[in-house]
Amino acid sequence: MKLKGLFLVGILLICSIFAASTIELTVWTHEDPNRTLLEDRYIEEFQKLHPEVSIKRVTYPSAKIRETVLTAFSAGKGPDIFNMEVQDEYPYIVNQRVAPVNPIAMGYKNVEEIYDAYLEGTLNPVSYQGKLYGVPLEITNWCIFVNKRYTNALGMDFDNNYPKTWEALMEIADQLTVRNGEIITRRGFDFRYPYYLTFFIPMVEQLGGYLLNEDGTEAIINEKAWIDVLTFMKEWGPSGRNLGSPTYTAARKNWNKDDGSIVMCESGLYQILRLKSENPDLFHSDDWMIIPWPTFENAVNPVKGNYYGHYYMVNAQSSSEKQEWAWKLIAYMLQHTNEYFEQVGLIQPTYELMDSAVFKEFPFANVFMNDMSQAGCVLLHQAGPRLEELIREAVESVMLSGVSPENAVKTLKSKATEVLEDY
Amino acid sequence: MRSGIEKKKARWGWFFVLPAIAYFSIFSFYPIANAFHTSLYRWNLLSLNPPRFVWFENYLRLFQSEVFWNSVKATAIFTVGTFVSLLIGSLALSILIFSRKRFRSFFQMALYSPAVLSTVVAATIWLLILDPRGLGNTWMNALMGTSGKDYQWFANPDMSRISTILIYFWKYIGHFTILFIAGLSSIPNTILEAATIDGAGSWKKYWRITFPLLKPTVVLVCVLSLIQCMKSFSTQYLFVQSGAPKAPIDVLTLNIYNTAIRDHQIGRASAISVILFLTLILFSWAQLKLGRSEEVSFQ
Repeated sequence: MKLKGLFLVGILLICSIFAASTIELTVWTHEDPNRTLLEDRYIEEFQKLHPEVSIKRVTYPSAKIRETVLTAFSAGKGPDIFNMEVQDEYPYIVNQRVAPVNPIAMGYKNVEEIYDAYLEGTLNPVSYQGKLYGVPLEITNWCIFVNKRYTNALGMDFDNNYPKTWEALMEIADQLTVRNGEIITRRGFDFRYPYYLTFFIPMVEQLGGYLLNEDGTEAIINEKAWIDVLTFMKEWGPSGRNLGSPTYTAARKNWNKDDGSIVMCESGLYQILRLKSENPDLFHSDDWMIIPWPTFENAVNPVKGNYYGHYYMVNAQSSSEKQEWAWKLIAYMLQHTNEYFEQVGLIQPTYELMDSAVFKEFPFANVFMNDMSQAGCVLLHQAGPRLEELIREAVESVMLSGVSPENAVKTLKSKATEVLEDY
Repeated sequence: MRSGIEKKKARWGWFFVLPAIAYFSIFSFYPIANAFHTSLYRWNLLSLNPPRFVWFENYLRLFQSEVFWNSVKATAIFTVGTFVSLLIGSLALSILIFSRKRFRSFFQMALYSPAVLSTVVAATIWLLILDPRGLGNTWMNALMGTSGKDYQWFANPDMSRISTILIYFWKYIGHFTILFIAGLSSIPNTILEAATIDGAGSWKKYWRITFPLLKPTVVLVCVLSLIQCMKSFSTQYLFVQSGAPKAPIDVLTLNIYNTAIRDHQIGRASAISVILFLTLILFSWAQLKLGRSEEVSFQ
């Protein structure tokens, strides 16, 4: 009886020691079915290599992950690893909620070696006060996806003469748009509302305007540029030439369906592989192409649409042991750069990928990279989401509520100045 | 001096209400007290620095904020629009259904069915209907004898307000109609029969007997629907997500969400919550007080 008891105690002790030595990592990321297939496999492989590590990967809709991560962090229960759009991750860096990258755990000699592995500038968004806080899962910029069935039908030869300016795009979109009275049944092109920091700000910058001055103390620089772009948007909306509106279904969602409701939309390279899985007939046809992001005819600054990224980050409140394993897992997943690109269409901007045949031979990859070389990163500021909301109000007020661009800019400037006072 | 039996009864009384007190303390009173406490701090949700005690600065900032007053206006318009239409609509429908001998259960069920849908599902269905190419424009064009007119259900500021009111009306009309039907059922038939014998017509009976006796139900419906309307969030949230201009439908709850989740200012968001809470308490108290001024008795 005594022996039996001792045996049981021994078993329990072994179990508790074993349980204590297991590292549990939680990974929160946004939904992407193609990527889930890959990362589930990587995690399985990693767990086989390191049986002492147990990983729980949870996905959330892109629109939901921002608030889920925020509420978890504010309660001190954030995941060990997460990724979001970099403008949403930036406050986590500034508030020291994420840990600096551990180069040794990632298999690099030092941080400089990580910088050397990635295209110049692509780690800048996650570099803060001399430290690096994340590594890119994907960097995205937008170009224009074109369904040539509709352009060809109107005798437009996009292969040799595609619209290079916003003004030309507006004219062509007008010809391609089909309406039933005031109701648009087919849009020639429409913007990607409400991501105004990604597409609207570069349009303003093309005309010489800026959202903030250099030291970030003043907002809405060069009001004329803002008024000109808002005038363009007013002309685009229902009260102008009625070419599109934020209230129609997102253009990129319908583009893959080829259902006759949209001819051109803005999207990233990842959309190509989504097209492949959602509409293989269109994907394998010659009926689509991707053209560079336009500039205004009188652009003084020929920038392209801003790029944004999703960076993997590690919770600074996780134990140092967990942090180390977290960076090891991230490094393990990201060593499959080519597969991420081939299977999901995600650009991890490493020199290794850029120099690979896979990338060079991928359809339209050069269009995206040419534009990327002239693109800036989306605004990184603690007030970024608030400023984007104000820009949204301004654009929608001229497009939908009949406010004049001059008044919209005046209101925007006053509200943006008030917001900046909070930071 | 209370007797031993009374004391014992009181102890048992406490024993039975204790679970409810514990429940409300944890899930209602504590969050309310905590929200008030938080509202006195300048508190960034993400910051590791301790929150700074600022007394009533958050409230003062709100009262000077254009966005806050716009939210008050948006909430007032939505609440009045929904509350009044719900009250009148549900009362009228309840009288209509109550007067029916056949299909009464069917009508009740049909009217109530939207209430069992989550607000998100209801709003999503309506988003499809109100899409520029959706059924909303088709129906309105047929009804108004127009062709290809876009009624801009989301795009136009006034229309987006009307659309949110319409969705809420559709979703909750059944719920309040059932409450009124329950109220109508509780009015003793003998009183109405006596009135008939005395020569009262249908309108007189409704006006002089049914309506006054229905007063407790009216108060109940008023309080419930007012609270429901002022707490509305999902419909406005989904509308904004779908491209509708925010300002006309930026109700207080949406403002709380944006202040906390987008701006990370939990102190200021709590201050708006406290203001909303106090407003609800004030309105509910006023309605109950008015309702009690003429107590109804069937004896």
